[in-house]
Amino acid sequence: MYKEAFLAALTVFICYGGNWLFGQTMIERPLVVGCIAGLIFGDMRAGIIMGASLEAIFMGAVDIGGALSAEPVTATVLATTFSIVLNVNEKAALALAVPIGVLAAFISMFMKNVVMNLFAPLVDKYAEENSPKKMAFIHYLMWFINYFVFSLITFFSVLEGAKPVQALVNSIPDNLMAGLSATGGLLPAVGFAILMRMLWSKQLAPYFFLGFILVAYLELPSVAVAALGIILVLVTSFKDKQLLDMENKQKELEQRPAVAGPSNSDATKEEQEEEDFFS
Amino acid sequence: MKLTENMSKEDRKMLNGIFWRSFTVFASRAGATKAHAPGFIYSITPALKRYYKDDPEGRREAMMRHTTWYNITQNVGTFVMGLVASMEKKNSEEKDFDAESIVALKTSLMGPLSGIGDSIFWGVIRVIAAGVGISLATQGSILGPILFLLIYNIPSILTRYYLTYMGFSLGSTFIEKIYANGSMKILNKAASTLGLLMIGSMTASMVKFESKLSVPIAGGKPILIQTYLDQLFKGLVPLGITLLCYWLLSKKVNVNWILLGVLVLAIILGLLGVV
Repeated sequence: MYKEAFLAALTVFICYGGNWLFGQTMIERPLVVGCIAGLIFGDMRAGIIMGASLEAIFMGAVDIGGALSAEPVTATVLATTFSIVLNVNEKAALALAVPIGVLAAFISMFMKNVVMNLFAPLVDKYAEENSPKKMAFIHYLMWFINYFVFSLITFFSVLEGAKPVQALVNSIPDNLMAGLSATGGLLPAVGFAILMRMLWSKQLAPYFFLGFILVAYLELPSVAVAALGIILVLVTSFKDKQLLDMENKQKELEQRPAVAGPSNSDATKEEQEEEDFFS
Repeated sequence: MKLTENMSKEDRKMLNGIFWRSFTVFASRAGATKAHAPGFIYSITPALKRYYKDDPEGRREAMMRHTTWYNITQNVGTFVMGLVASMEKKNSEEKDFDAESIVALKTSLMGPLSGIGDSIFWGVIRVIAAGVGISLATQGSILGPILFLLIYNIPSILTRYYLTYMGFSLGSTFIEKIYANGSMKILNKAASTLGLLMIGSMTASMVKFESKLSVPIAGGKPILIQTYLDQLFKGLVPLGITLLCYWLLSKKVNVNWILLGVLVLAIILGLLGVV
C-alpha cells in the first residue's frame, strides 16, 4: 500500500499545488485529475470516466476569494484510487468522494484563513526590510506548506484508510448510500450560490431563471445557452450604450453656458424626446 | 497586436516579467487579512526593482503599501498589475505624487474586475469547456480532459497577457474615464447577465434531486411524488435549494454551515427513504 499511497499523494501535489502555482490552469479539476490518477494507477480509461462523473458533481465547487464549497482534488484522487486499486464499486466511490471533498474544503479553509495567518507578520516584516528575495521565499514557502499538508493527508488516507473504507463501503446500508449519492446532486447548489452572491442584482435576477428554464424545459446544451446569452448581452449593451451616450451628451449641453444659439437648445429638446421614447 | 508594439524594450521586459510571475499570484494565501498580497508583491517586483533602482527607501515604501489585502480573478488581475506598474513609475518620477492613490485605485478595482472575471471565466468559459470535456470523457476518451484544458486556457492566458500590457499603457486616466462615462457599468452589467444566465443553466443541469417516494393507492398504481413535483415545475427542488443557499449566504451565514446543512439534509432524506 505504501507505493499506492505515495503515488496518490504525488498526484495531489502535482494537480492541486500545480494548479495554483501555474495560474489556476484547471489541472485541479476532476476531468484532469481523474485522467492523471488513472494514468498513474494503470487504468487511464477508468480514471477519465470517473473524472467525468466527478466533474459534474463538483461543477459548482469553485474557490472564490477563499470561500470553497468542496475541494475536488483530494476527493477525485481518493475516489479514483479506491475504485481502481481497491476495486471499490464505482458508484460507492463516487458517493464517498462527496464527504471527502467537503472535509477537504474544511481543511483547506482552515489552512488558508487560520494557519497561514501565522505568516502574515512575516510578510510585513520582509516588506519593511525591503527584501523582494525574502518575499519571494515566503510566497513559495507558504505554497509548499499548504499543498504538502494535502499530500500528507492523502498519503495517510490511502495507507490507513484503505481497509476501513473497504469495510465501510460493504457495510453502508442502501438508504444511507442513497443519501450520500443525493449529496452529490445537491452539493453544486452551494457553489452556484457563492457565484450568484457576486453577480446578483434585482434587475438581472430574471436572467438566472431564464437560464434555468432554457435547460430544465428546453434542454439546450450549455454551448447553445452561452451563444444565446452572448447575443442577448450584445443587444442590451448596444441599447445601454446608446442611452449612455445620450445622457453624457445631455450632461455636456447642460454644463455649457446658456449663451449658445437656438440651434443648440433644439438639439437638446430632440434628444430629450428621443430619450423619453427609449425609456 | 498594436498594444505590444509601441513599447520600449525595457517596458516589454518588465511587463513580460509581471505576466510570468502573475501565474503564481494565488500560490500562497497569507491568511484572511492579507490574502494574496505576497503573490501580488512578487508579481510586480520587476516594476519595483526598475523604478526604484536608486531609491531603496522608495522601494521599501512601495513594498509596504502593497502588503494589504489583494484578491482579483487572477487572469484579469494582471490589468491592475500593469496599472500599478505605471503608477509606481509616476510615483518614482514625480515628487508630489499621491502614493496612497495607488492602493486606493487597486482596491477599488478588485470588486468590479473580479465580478467581470469570475462571471466570464468561471461562469461561462469553464462551463462550456467542462460541458465539451465531460461529454467526451464519459466515453473514456482522452480528448475530454485535453479539450477541456485547451478551451479554458487559450482565452484565459491570452487575456492575462494582453491585460498586463493594457493596464500599463492605458493607465489610470483610462479607468477614470470609463468609470466617469459609465462604460464600466455596462461592461459589468453585461458580464453579470451572462454569468447569471449560465449559472441558471448550470443549476438546472448539475444540481440534481430525484425522489423515489410514492404514495400507494388501494387497488391502483402508486403515485410517484417526483412526477407531481415535475408537473408543478421542472427542477423545483434543485432551484429551491440553490435559492435557499443563496439566501443564507446573503444573510452572512458561514459557507461551512451551509455545506454541512446540505450534507445532513441529503443523508436524512436518504435514511427516510425519500431519495
